[in-house]
Amino acid sequence: MSAVVTAGMPRRSITLGRSIVGRIGLLPALLVALVVGMSAIDPQFYGLINILNILRNASLLAIVACGQALVIVAGGFDLSVGAVVALASVVTAKTMAATAAAFPGNTALIIASGAAAGIGCGLAVGLVNGFCVAKLKVSGFVVTLGTMSATAGVGLMITSGIPAYGMPDSFVKGFGRAQLFGLPTAVYAALAVIAAMMFVQRRTLFGRYVYAIGGNVDAAVVSGVSIQRHIVGTYAVSSVLAALTGILLTAQVGSGQASFGGDRMMLQSIAAAVIGGVSLRGGVGRVEIVAISALFLTILGNALNLLHVDSRLQPVFLGVIMVAAVALDELSRRSKARV
Amino acid sequence: MTTEQSSHKNSFSSEWLWRAVLPIALVVLLLGFAAVDRSVLSPANLLNIAQQTSYLALFAMAQTVVILTRGFDLALGPAVSMVSVGTALAMAGATATGHDPSIVVLAGLGTGFGLGIACGLFNGVVIALLGVSPFVATLGSYNIAIGVATTLSAGRPVQGVPKLFSQLFYGGSIFGIPAAIIITLAIGLALHLMLSRTVFGRSLYIIGTNPRAAAVAGLPVKRILVATYVLCSTLAALGAIMMTARTGSGEPNLGGSLSLQAIAGAVVGGTSLAGGRGGVGTAVLGALFVTILSNGMNLTRIDGYIQMVVLGAIVIIGVLLDRLRLERRR
Repeated sequence: MSAVVTAGMPRRSITLGRSIVGRIGLLPALLVALVVGMSAIDPQFYGLINILNILRNASLLAIVACGQALVIVAGGFDLSVGAVVALASVVTAKTMAATAAAFPGNTALIIASGAAAGIGCGLAVGLVNGFCVAKLKVSGFVVTLGTMSATAGVGLMITSGIPAYGMPDSFVKGFGRAQLFGLPTAVYAALAVIAAMMFVQRRTLFGRYVYAIGGNVDAAVVSGVSIQRHIVGTYAVSSVLAALTGILLTAQVGSGQASFGGDRMMLQSIAAAVIGGVSLRGGVGRVEIVAISALFLTILGNALNLLHVDSRLQPVFLGVIMVAAVALDELSRRSKARV
Repeated sequence: MTTEQSSHKNSFSSEWLWRAVLPIALVVLLLGFAAVDRSVLSPANLLNIAQQTSYLALFAMAQTVVILTRGFDLALGPAVSMVSVGTALAMAGATATGHDPSIVVLAGLGTGFGLGIACGLFNGVVIALLGVSPFVATLGSYNIAIGVATTLSAGRPVQGVPKLFSQLFYGGSIFGIPAAIIITLAIGLALHLMLSRTVFGRSLYIIGTNPRAAAVAGLPVKRILVATYVLCSTLAALGAIMMTARTGSGEPNLGGSLSLQAIAGAVVGGTSLAGGRGGVGTAVLGALFVTILSNGMNLTRIDGYIQMVVLGAIVIIGVLLDRLRLERRR
């Protein structure tokens, strides 16, 4: 409303200010408030162990959420990411154990085969998702609902629900639990993924076309964008990133488990994307904000734990914050449209 | 020209063929399982299938009502858990204070439906008035309902469900037909009449087919949407009450994967996620299909993990067939 009153020259600065707020949003402010508040209340919060713990968990969530964000920007959904995390974990561990039995001592080969198998099964699920959505025109919700059930089933089938061991020490101790300059490996992996995704979103044709498809499919078709290939691409990227998370988790824990990821990871990745300003209508969203939102969600969970809030009550906070974030976004969009 | 004409001529019969796909698949499925294990077709098992279907059918109907308007309710499963826990707690509390059994049951029903309606109101208001997408809104209430259900129950089953309650909603029968089947049949009939004969019911289809046209035509879209989500959650609450009567306790994990199962049931039956297409029939058919599939796989001792893979594949194939049918019609 104020923009109407102050028409003319000052308007530019106001729209600039508003665009900065719109671009960065409420999220960093909430994040800072949370961190400052928690540091004042509980010194344990800024202890080294707790910070590393937060960073590790936030990194894993951020990697999955980046892929999820890309799919949502293109106007889709990926419900299968949690199941892919589990499947990749199990397949990686089993493959490493099998290769270790066949070629004992050849650590490089063992790790390479395990990682390739994990990423490969992620890619396979992503291609199935993309093919069904893009070529067969089945809604993304239903397709990934189906592959979620199927992928989780395969993961459980391979292991019968028992953790899979037999990975080389250098993979677990030398990679998964290793620290470089005091930070866990997962943090570097997440930073690399976020940087790569930022580059893809801003500087590559693929990234720009994904925005175009999510913003207006018909316009993208008319402009000559090959829709199907790019949609398959988004699902493939999402599943591969989920598989990467599965491998990182496996290396960290030291066993492949079909209980990794799951519905919780899937719902949190969507929550992170949505709170991070990715519109479910498609065409809007940036991975760096999604990563901040993943950090925010992780710190929130951590803070609730430290404050001794009953873990059973914690989902309530997540639910309220998610709805409130999107509702605020929606209301501000409406008031903008009215101006 | 000629091909267009001939395809037009055939469209009537092929439409009927497409409609018959699912019922035929149902019969083939039953006969196939019966070939492996005779007991599949035994009267006891058929009654068992019918009884199991009645729960899923109720949830699929609830889901169908909102899917018709291009929405869906991810919170249905957790709402079921919440209602189950709330109902059991209220009845245990009323029993402890020495009330009459009928008062106890009424207290349970009031609490259960109250929680269901509250959940539906939350969803409806957030979606219709605040303009939040159904996915986010019901994902939010999904988390809230899980939190409430596990907090109220401390994560443990709630005992103290009176016999009268279990008798009314599970154990009782009329002419040998179990209560669950009768309730679902009655609700299905009422819902079918509502969807096909009332202004409210028809307006759901209009909103799903073309929301803008519905608004332009002067329909109070927002109010109808709120009512739709309340209806969905109320049906889910009824299902939760029936399931609580079956287990004899309030279970914080009762809903589990019900949200997605109910969506799968509705979608396999031919309800379109694009809105405006589907009804009680599609919900019941889909629920029957999913139930027969899992019942048959259980009796033929197919590994539970393989069952998950099969169910996933079936959901995708079901929607794919529906898609092909639509393209044919065009």
